[in-house]
Amino acid sequence: MQIVSGGVTDVGRVRTNNEDSFRILEPLNLFILSDGMGGEAHGEIASSMAVETVAKYCSDQDEGTDETGVTLHGNESDHWAPETKRLRNAVYQANFNIYQSAQKHPEQRGMGATLTAGWINGAKLSIAHVGDSRAYLLRTGSLQQLTNDHSLVAEQVRRGILTPQQAEESEMQSVLLRALGAHPEVDVDIEEVDLMPRDVVLFCSDGLTRMVTEPEIAGSLQAETVPMAAAQKLVDLANERGGLDNVTVIVARLEDESKGWFSWLRRDSGKKA
Amino acid sequence: MAKLSLMFENKLMKEVPIGTRPITIGRSPDNDLPVDNLAVSNHHARVYYEGSRLVVEDLDSLNGTFVNDLRVERATLHDGDSIWIGKHHIKVDATADSVLPFESGGRKAAAPKINETMVLDTKVRRDMLQQAAAMGERSQFSPGRLKMPTLVVLSGRVDQKEFVLTNKLTVIGSSPMATVRLRGWFKPKVAAQINQRDDGYYLGTGSKIPHVNGNPIQGPVRLNDGDLIEVSGIRMNFIFRE
Repeated sequence: MQIVSGGVTDVGRVRTNNEDSFRILEPLNLFILSDGMGGEAHGEIASSMAVETVAKYCSDQDEGTDETGVTLHGNESDHWAPETKRLRNAVYQANFNIYQSAQKHPEQRGMGATLTAGWINGAKLSIAHVGDSRAYLLRTGSLQQLTNDHSLVAEQVRRGILTPQQAEESEMQSVLLRALGAHPEVDVDIEEVDLMPRDVVLFCSDGLTRMVTEPEIAGSLQAETVPMAAAQKLVDLANERGGLDNVTVIVARLEDESKGWFSWLRRDSGKKA
Repeated sequence: MAKLSLMFENKLMKEVPIGTRPITIGRSPDNDLPVDNLAVSNHHARVYYEGSRLVVEDLDSLNGTFVNDLRVERATLHDGDSIWIGKHHIKVDATADSVLPFESGGRKAAAPKINETMVLDTKVRRDMLQQAAAMGERSQFSPGRLKMPTLVVLSGRVDQKEFVLTNKLTVIGSSPMATVRLRGWFKPKVAAQINQRDDGYYLGTGSKIPHVNGNPIQGPVRLNDGDLIEVSGIRMNFIFRE
């Protein structure tokens, strides 16, 4: 399957610095997004460290390069694809790097980052996730969330203490239960999803999801099929609504490349339109 | 950041920061500061910023809202004031910076503090979740009452009689990737999809519009125990199996 993608990050309308980072590694079809936290410029340091570590770890072809003392916990005999495990280990590594940096530099104490990454190999999407950034899948017009937020309010919703509406209005939305850099080890959620032609995968920071509703996100992704333009459109929409936080959006679309008997017909009608 | 502290006989019951949204006070548990006492109305009062002034407003409560000793409909609050509601009182702490009103277009020197992301350390997290758990469990995911979400096929051509939903995403269709694999001619690759979210399982459209309990769905619908799903010639029950 052919994959086209685009990403946009923006400081928003209220903040003065952008603590979000993202990377798209096109040859690998690897998408990485991180939202940093911590005073001064430390949120930026944490999120870019998260993104760069994951990018480097996954692009390093040599499997035996875990030079640091990171314990790669998790059951290695489990059923996940090698890429999924590699992505998870990359996130362990990123957590360790941020934690260690904060230990070495007292001024960085308290810095941390979310991380949501997707890696598409063939028709399989591997996801690794910590924090409250999100991955979504738009398929046949339905927007489906592929990650669970590691926030206090989301946990309260899962336990039935808050309704999703109450969670959206809560003052505690920014309280995370899990993030990279807080502890030497971190629990990483992993997920595998089988993709189909014309699926659209979206990665975004909470600066989008707190400003723009899911039906609006679904509508924008359907209306604008060029990934970069769709990402820009969503960022613009978040800013129109107040842009209270940094906002980052990555859109990846799987093109249908089947050259069926009638493909010439479709191409022709495309020209007319 | 300014905050409100709910006190009962000099014991701190709950603290909430005051952000851009009004803080609601009342007996009903959907309030930001729930006060469990029969003398308190369901939605008793609220506190919010009006520009840089902190204001308390009585919401036509039966027994009234008092600031220090005065019964008020609406009053400006100052640091150190006490709002009395029944036998509870709420201490007003407005020493810290008030929330900056947002300026559209312009960029602020600093975002309001409530928007700063923070991570709870393990102990605080445990305490908060325990406290939350004590408030009661209504969820399908409550520990101890874990039930398996299951699709039971009533009629139609499908390769299994039952499907336990274990993934974030369950596809109903003829696609080889579908969990609920439809058989027969002209079946759509993706007829419908089920997405596991924080508060339950949501049925969404595929290239068909599924019916739930006889009604076509408009957008994602949260499934309840016992719901009847009909799509592309098959009928299924969604149940939580013990």
